[in-house]
Amino acid sequence: MFRQLQARFGGPLAMAIVTLLGIWLIVMVTLPQLQMIEYSLRPNLLPAQVGGPDDRLTLTNYATLFSNDIHRSIFVKTIWSSVLVTLLTLAVSYPLAWYLAKIATPRQAALCILLLIVPFWINEILRTYSWFIILAFRGPLNELLMMLGLIDRPIRFLNGNGGVMVGMVYAYILFMVFPVYNAIESLDDNQVRAARDLGAGTVRTHRRIVIPHAKPGIATGCIMTFMLAAGSYAVPALLGSPGSRWFTQIIYNWFFEGGNWNQGAAYAFLLLVLCIGFMSLIMKIFKVGLGDIGR
Amino acid sequence: MDGSVRLDEVVMRFGDFTAIEKTSLEIGSGEFFSFLGPSGCGKTTLLNIISGFLTPSEGQVCIGGEPMASVAVNQRPTAMIFQNLALFPLMTVFENIEFGLEVRGVDKRKRRETSERLLELVALEGSGPKRVTELSGGQKQRVAIARALAVEPRVLLLDEPLSALDLKLRQHMRAELKAIQRKTGITFIYITHDQGEALTMSDRVAVMSAGRIQQVADPMTLYREPATGFVAAFVGENNRLQVGVIDQEGDRVRLDGGALGELTGRAGRETRLANGEAATLFVRPEHLRPTAAEAAGPKFDSEIEAVHFEGAWVMLETRLVASGEKLRVQLGHEVLRGYADALGVGQRILLGYDPVDSVVLRDDGSPVLDADTGEVLAGRQAAAGEEHV
Repeated sequence: MFRQLQARFGGPLAMAIVTLLGIWLIVMVTLPQLQMIEYSLRPNLLPAQVGGPDDRLTLTNYATLFSNDIHRSIFVKTIWSSVLVTLLTLAVSYPLAWYLAKIATPRQAALCILLLIVPFWINEILRTYSWFIILAFRGPLNELLMMLGLIDRPIRFLNGNGGVMVGMVYAYILFMVFPVYNAIESLDDNQVRAARDLGAGTVRTHRRIVIPHAKPGIATGCIMTFMLAAGSYAVPALLGSPGSRWFTQIIYNWFFEGGNWNQGAAYAFLLLVLCIGFMSLIMKIFKVGLGDIGR
Repeated sequence: MDGSVRLDEVVMRFGDFTAIEKTSLEIGSGEFFSFLGPSGCGKTTLLNIISGFLTPSEGQVCIGGEPMASVAVNQRPTAMIFQNLALFPLMTVFENIEFGLEVRGVDKRKRRETSERLLELVALEGSGPKRVTELSGGQKQRVAIARALAVEPRVLLLDEPLSALDLKLRQHMRAELKAIQRKTGITFIYITHDQGEALTMSDRVAVMSAGRIQQVADPMTLYREPATGFVAAFVGENNRLQVGVIDQEGDRVRLDGGALGELTGRAGRETRLANGEAATLFVRPEHLRPTAAEAAGPKFDSEIEAVHFEGAWVMLETRLVASGEKLRVQLGHEVLRGYADALGVGQRILLGYDPVDSVVLRDDGSPVLDADTGEVLAGRQAAAGEEHV
């Protein structure tokens, strides 16, 4: 890498780029992570006891998750819900990506992409709040459904996981749409035409031709959405009910309310391991390598 | 199995642009039929109408006598071979060929039998488990043919499938396509801008220009009896001279060649020319011969501007001394023997032709082709008809 940079920018500038990159990777990414791992392996002690005989390496912080039924169930629920969010986002994004890549005229596609992006100029918290208003018990969505006569009395959308799901699908849809769109866009139109010509209907054409081609894009979208969903704090905090706590909220509580950084670090680390595990699993299922994702 | 195709007054418009003028045509079952024309002439649009990818603005398509208006692409008894072949790159050769059968719910064993048989037909035995990306250009071509034949179409549509191959392979595949067509008895509808392909393979050829069919005929007739100036200029090479008609007797026409004096030509089939009418005299390069001053018949005094040795023949570029017009002359070795010294650049040569070999056609306003590039010069501009699809 250094050689390529040197050929392009000359020695001093290449050196500066590599140094900055190195500082960023080591100081901003690696060291804090190592610090967290270090924290997670030590008991939570009073300042006076730090460095004393009780300050030794232990796995108790990790064991807490497995002994605490509530935390464990929230952990499992977070994974499960994140998977659901991912699938839901994919279900919404795939037809949209297909439309943008293969059906819409360039003008329509540009307009549609603009409409998708504009809301993301607003802060995530505000965007999430707007869903809070839309989904509220006496909010516009309930009003509309009542007006259309589809329901008799308002529904409590925010009671349970529903609101969190909707909020997350909305928050992460771009991370799914764009990789899938890119992948579908690169498919030769004649492939689809050939499949049709040989007698395939819409479902089979997508299953056998489009989806296999778009696989790397779908995998990229799924991984990003899952990571963001599992690590999301704002959406479950704002749109969730007490019954739909997210694991990130538990971690937050350990750090800022429980004051137990060691415990929080262990939980955070477990979540990280889980996400990496999930990512590898998805990549294995879809038979994509790390190289495909960069494309 | 009736694989006849009939177009009834088909018109195709894209907005204000008419890609296909009103066209009616009948293609017989089991015929090898080609659409020949320069790019933008509407031939691909016509193919897409037959396959069902496009719905004609007016008129209808019948296959085997049945109207196809309400039959979707994936239900039509046609199969298409795409210009870029459009093989499925993520599948093996077997999977590609069997795709159409898989769609039709044919069981696995039967599918494999069919694909093995088709691989044998296209001389690719044993390549079934390979990925299509491992194949050479010619092999891919064969897989595309096998994949299309697997669904047992009544009509096979071929959209310039040989254009991506190199010359040698292309000529080889011509013979092979023709042989496959004969063996299977399927109607082949072939689209090309390459007259060599159209003439060598087809039973009949439709020459198209600017959304209109200029002539439908067997290759020999097309070459010898062009019906319009466009066909005369587009199919094979032709020298063209603007002339006036003096009079016509039978198919023999006396012509006023202006500075060239009086000329004689043969009127095109079914062409009746009025005295004094403007016309074009076509004489093919291979019909011009060096001739003696005292010999009978029309003669052109011309100067040699370039000599191209092509192996089997020599192509001369000459300029008429009287009018300055260009004539191309193709001479075989049997003629050359006596003229070895007379063919230098700058030398004068007296050229003659047998009027029976010439064609005189009325100036009908059909598009005129540039003699050097083959591009349409006049007439309605062939616009972006094929870009719409």
